[in-house]
Amino acid sequence: MKVLVIIPCYNESENILAVVQRLTTLCPQVDYLVVNDCSSDNTLSILREHGIHHLNLPLNLGIGGGVQSGYLYAMEHDYDITVQMDGDGQHDPHFLQQVIAPVAEGKLDMCIGSRFIEKKGFQTSLMRRMGIRFLSGLIHLLTGERILDVTSGYRACNRQMTAYFARDYAQDYPEPEAIITALCNGFAVGEVAVEMEERQGGVSSIRAFKSISYMAKVSLALVIHRLGARRKGKRT
Amino acid sequence: MTIWFQSLLFVGSLLFSILVIYMVKWGRLSIRYSFLWLTLGGSMLLLSIWPDLAKMLRALVQIEVVSNLIFVMLFCFVLLVLLILCAALTDCTDRLKRLTQVNALLEERIRQLEERDSSK
Repeated sequence: MKVLVIIPCYNESENILAVVQRLTTLCPQVDYLVVNDCSSDNTLSILREHGIHHLNLPLNLGIGGGVQSGYLYAMEHDYDITVQMDGDGQHDPHFLQQVIAPVAEGKLDMCIGSRFIEKKGFQTSLMRRMGIRFLSGLIHLLTGERILDVTSGYRACNRQMTAYFARDYAQDYPEPEAIITALCNGFAVGEVAVEMEERQGGVSSIRAFKSISYMAKVSLALVIHRLGARRKGKRT
Repeated sequence: MTIWFQSLLFVGSLLFSILVIYMVKWGRLSIRYSFLWLTLGGSMLLLSIWPDLAKMLRALVQIEVVSNLIFVMLFCFVLLVLLILCAALTDCTDRLKRLTQVNALLEERIRQLEERDSSK
């Protein structure tokens, strides 16, 4: 089974080498692809210098566009499972097999690594947790499905889900939107427990998370997605 | 409305419509967006030829003064143009995104081929 780990990164010169080395050491059987989203620091030179397999986007597309490039690559190279993993070192490759397993067994189309099932490891700030809980409640209200860690970027997708995301993937705040589009289109989405770590270095690109505007925009996007879609039955 | 102002409005509307048509001809404006501006030019031409139309519309929507009706109509038109431009911008952003992604995929493929070639 061919597995591709997509690692989107923007200005991750402090972390990216360690993230890739950790992944290749712990999971040598999987392929990986770093998507450099037009970083303005020396991320690209680090990738080149160390022969790290990467895509280099000539324009900054944001997290959604970067991840989607990875899905396009996976489609082009016929991967069975694609895993999205952040480039800041928050996602532990020890849990890769747990995240992949439900997808590989055909139980789920998309499996999300959730830090809130067992509540172990780094749990993020109170404000973020409240925001995540609100979005989780909103998704539950709109779709009837309970997903706890809606902003987790640690997720595995099967071929069908990858093909769908390669065609259509949210750009601005993609994680919660991707969940609702997947659910509305009849894909099976679930979670497994993982532990996450605090980012190893650098600065988070989602500082806007703290702002009310983030919540407002994501909530609006979720409601619009739900209104625009007649929920399809579960795919078999 | 004086005949002088009516003539000025007629000539202005005509020149505006001709400008829009020539912009399409010169490739400065796509047919898709020209339709909206030609509609505006046509409406202005119609009002300059038949000013009573504005009075009839005013009576129909029960607005006190004709100039207010014109302002409301223009405001709605500008809003419509802004909405259409936002939609066009979204479309352009999507296309640019896909172009960027495909460019990155091709660049990666070339790099892999070059590495394979140099290792032979």
